[in-house]
Amino acid sequence: MIETATGTTPTTSRTSRSQEPFYLPVHDEVALFTAAYEQRIPVLLKGPTGCGKTRFVEHMAWRIFGGRADAPAQPLVTVTCHDDITSADLVGRYLLSSEGTTWLDGPLTQAARSGALCYLDEVVEARKDTTVILHSLTDHRRTLPIERLGETIEAHDDFLLVVSYNPGYQAAAKDLKPSTRQRFMAIEFTYPDRDLEVRIISHEAGVDEATARDLAFLGEQLRRLDEAGVIEGPSTRLLVHVGGLITHGIAPRRACDVGLVQALSDDPDVQEAVTQVVGAVFPA
Amino acid sequence: MTGLRESAALEVAVAEDRTRHSLALYYRALCGEVCSLVPYDDGSSPWEHADTETTVWLPRRAPLDDHAEFTADQWYQVAMTHRAMHRAMGTFELDLDRDEPLFPRRRPRAADDADVPSLPRLAGLFGGSVLGIHIFATCEDLRIDAATDRLLPGLAKPATGVRHGALHERPQPAALSPRAAAIEALVRFSLGGSLVWAATSMHEPIARIISVARRLRDPRARVESSVEAALRICDVLVGVPTEGAHRSGREVRFAELDTTYDESGFDTETLSARMTGAQGFAEWYHPVAYRDWPGPRYVGAPASDASLEAFLPQVAQASTAPAHGEGEDQDGGDGVPRRAPERTAGSADPGAAPNVRPLMPLNGDEPWADLETRLQSRAANEFVYPEWDSYSATYRQQFTRLRVVGTPVQRADHSHYRALARYGHLVGPLVRALERVRPDGHTITRRSPSGDDLDLDACIDAAIDLRTGVEPSDRVFTDLRRRRRDVAVVFALDLSASTAIALPPDPEAPGTVRSILDLQRDAVSLLARALERVGDAYGVYGFSGSGRDDVRLSVVKDVEERTTPTVWHRLGGLRPDHTTRMAPAIRHLTSRLRSVEAATKIMFVISDGRPFDIDYGQQYGEEAMLGYAVGDTARALAEAREAGLHPYLLTVDPDGADYLGAACEPGSYRVIADTRQLPEALAALYISVRSSS
Repeated sequence: MIETATGTTPTTSRTSRSQEPFYLPVHDEVALFTAAYEQRIPVLLKGPTGCGKTRFVEHMAWRIFGGRADAPAQPLVTVTCHDDITSADLVGRYLLSSEGTTWLDGPLTQAARSGALCYLDEVVEARKDTTVILHSLTDHRRTLPIERLGETIEAHDDFLLVVSYNPGYQAAAKDLKPSTRQRFMAIEFTYPDRDLEVRIISHEAGVDEATARDLAFLGEQLRRLDEAGVIEGPSTRLLVHVGGLITHGIAPRRACDVGLVQALSDDPDVQEAVTQVVGAVFPA
Repeated sequence: MTGLRESAALEVAVAEDRTRHSLALYYRALCGEVCSLVPYDDGSSPWEHADTETTVWLPRRAPLDDHAEFTADQWYQVAMTHRAMHRAMGTFELDLDRDEPLFPRRRPRAADDADVPSLPRLAGLFGGSVLGIHIFATCEDLRIDAATDRLLPGLAKPATGVRHGALHERPQPAALSPRAAAIEALVRFSLGGSLVWAATSMHEPIARIISVARRLRDPRARVESSVEAALRICDVLVGVPTEGAHRSGREVRFAELDTTYDESGFDTETLSARMTGAQGFAEWYHPVAYRDWPGPRYVGAPASDASLEAFLPQVAQASTAPAHGEGEDQDGGDGVPRRAPERTAGSADPGAAPNVRPLMPLNGDEPWADLETRLQSRAANEFVYPEWDSYSATYRQQFTRLRVVGTPVQRADHSHYRALARYGHLVGPLVRALERVRPDGHTITRRSPSGDDLDLDACIDAAIDLRTGVEPSDRVFTDLRRRRRDVAVVFALDLSASTAIALPPDPEAPGTVRSILDLQRDAVSLLARALERVGDAYGVYGFSGSGRDDVRLSVVKDVEERTTPTVWHRLGGLRPDHTTRMAPAIRHLTSRLRSVEAATKIMFVISDGRPFDIDYGQQYGEEAMLGYAVGDTARALAEAREAGLHPYLLTVDPDGADYLGAACEPGSYRVIADTRQLPEALAALYISVRSSS
């Protein structure tokens, strides 16, 4: 976490390279990302919330840097974007210190200098004028101009920019500028199929397979309401959370109520319908 | 007291609507299909409430008695689950050529019938008999209920209770004919019954029927398994007399019956011929309330609302001919008795003449002859507005008189919640999109001369400036201000007589007669729901008239009025009436919005055609009428824009672009090509307007 000077705090996180993040491939995304990385083609991850985009990037960072002695200290720098984020939040800013002003690299600059993966999560949340600073980093130049320093840094050979967004709920009002979008290769994520999701829920939440299967089945049913645009379908992450509650002794219906029903919608009619589906899957 | 009773009745109606909405969503979650729920009253014939592909019929009251082991909500959930599972488990995706694992194949292979879909061919397997389809449907009920118990264990207890309740409603086998008693044994078995009373002579046929039916509880059973089972069961049934009395009998316990059967004992080769005519209205089949009654969709006509009995001869004929489109089922004149079309809210009888006053004759008494008289407001609810004469490029002052009228409350017609059931799936995305356009919360203003906190960037710049000898800026604060929802929007609906005209049948909602006004109401219901959620103020008005001195503006909801259930009843009370003089309505609503405090003010005028009135430009000749009316409308829109509003004219007239394009600003109007898309189009336009305003 970087405390920024202006009070806007882009949530950043750095991933340890010691442990392999659990990730089960859904399609050929691992091969695609690997090929893109070898060519240093920036990657855009599209997919609904909670389908594993962030975990995938963590997993890929581990695959790329896990066994390397020359890997950067923080192989993955993640920035969660929002509409108050500024280019200074990404690039860096001067801070006050006892000696005067001190320049502090922002997460993007740090990643570009050190050769880490920089992952801008929900990139369309950032204002368009902010995302424009990515342009020179994502074409053949691979440079980052830092206006305040009056210099342009060249990205480390290992650096790669990865961005993500959820076209489902962000498409209506926000989108990437074409000039930004066309710098990336895109990998589309969907929810895993039932068997895979059962394994994920079982592993992540620690529930038995039968419960994981019920949760995956429940998710499958409720995602039909997503297709209809009634709700944003329950993510695998949400199902894992519910599974976690069940593991810790909460009755399944109650766990679904607090972990799923309330999270999916505030509309009482929709809540009622979701509760009925939950009630059909889990006995009282 | 009357008021209290009405209020209570209203609450009940609203609760019923909401229950229907959530049940429709539940159905959609289970099977992914859209349906509209329609209640039926006791006493109607079962075939009148056979489900179609898009319509689910449910009794107005759940059959509860003192011994019921379930609540009404649970009964409806079980009934909806049963229907949804039919869809999810493939009842209507029968493929007669597909293998199934439970029975040696008795179905004929496709040969000459290769072009005919499987469901119509199914009827032919049973000689075009209603009995055969009912037995197939019962086999499917059995398979579906068993699958439901496996897949939805949370529902097992209420489902078992509902089935027990249904068993209590069954007729006494002793009072039935032998064949009806055998069918009753099958139905009871499908409901989880353990025994049936039967004449001694019936024990063997019942044993054979149950031994076949039992297999359908196997998890591997498919819809094709039900066909195989139905063929065998029908073979047994046609050998059982349809008349006769029971001399002696005893209980037959299903669990004690021989579970094996002799496959060679079935003759399905000649079944079709032997079953021809095995139908009739005899009391051989008693409905199970929570299950759907088999209708024409069981033989491949998903949208038909005819009775199966009347429909089967057609299917039998079609099953020997190339497949025909669903649309052919819809045209009348086939002699098939049909249920009266489902009358939806506010829909007009297409056969009835609209309530249109005939146009005044064009003679010396023509209404436009007196164009010089300046009109006066005669009451507090009357307003006088000018009119723009585009041919003389002048305003005609005090030229139109608009009367604001209340809208009658119509309880039985348009249902806001029924509209939401149809379009509810759009509300969520709409709300999310609107919230994203202008999220609630705080706005941070940086480099502000005053504020809640120091802006460190600005402070650093100021410090640097100080050290380098430059005069620093005093804008070194961040200011947090709470955003308010500051949008007011009005919807003006065209109530001219043409909005009553019934639209062509919608293939996705057969049996539903809808008018443009119905779609306008649906669009408003949809938007209103979303606006309530995001907190935008809105008003709903309808306009019509018959001459410049009689423009009427019906208030459904004033922009500053609180939303109450009465508003939706007023929406249902809007009636098509006379002509379309839009401009006075636009001018009045502009004036109304001016008095509303809001940063963004939006006006949507929704019309079905060109502006027209009986004295609207006729003085320049017939050919000039349209230009005059459009010119005045465009001018009124421009006035609204000058007043700081964002006015938009939506029309479903396919020729709208031709005449609006010449007079209106490009962004101020929208032509909707498919009338049925009006609600979706209005929602999309609203998002777009909000994004840009």
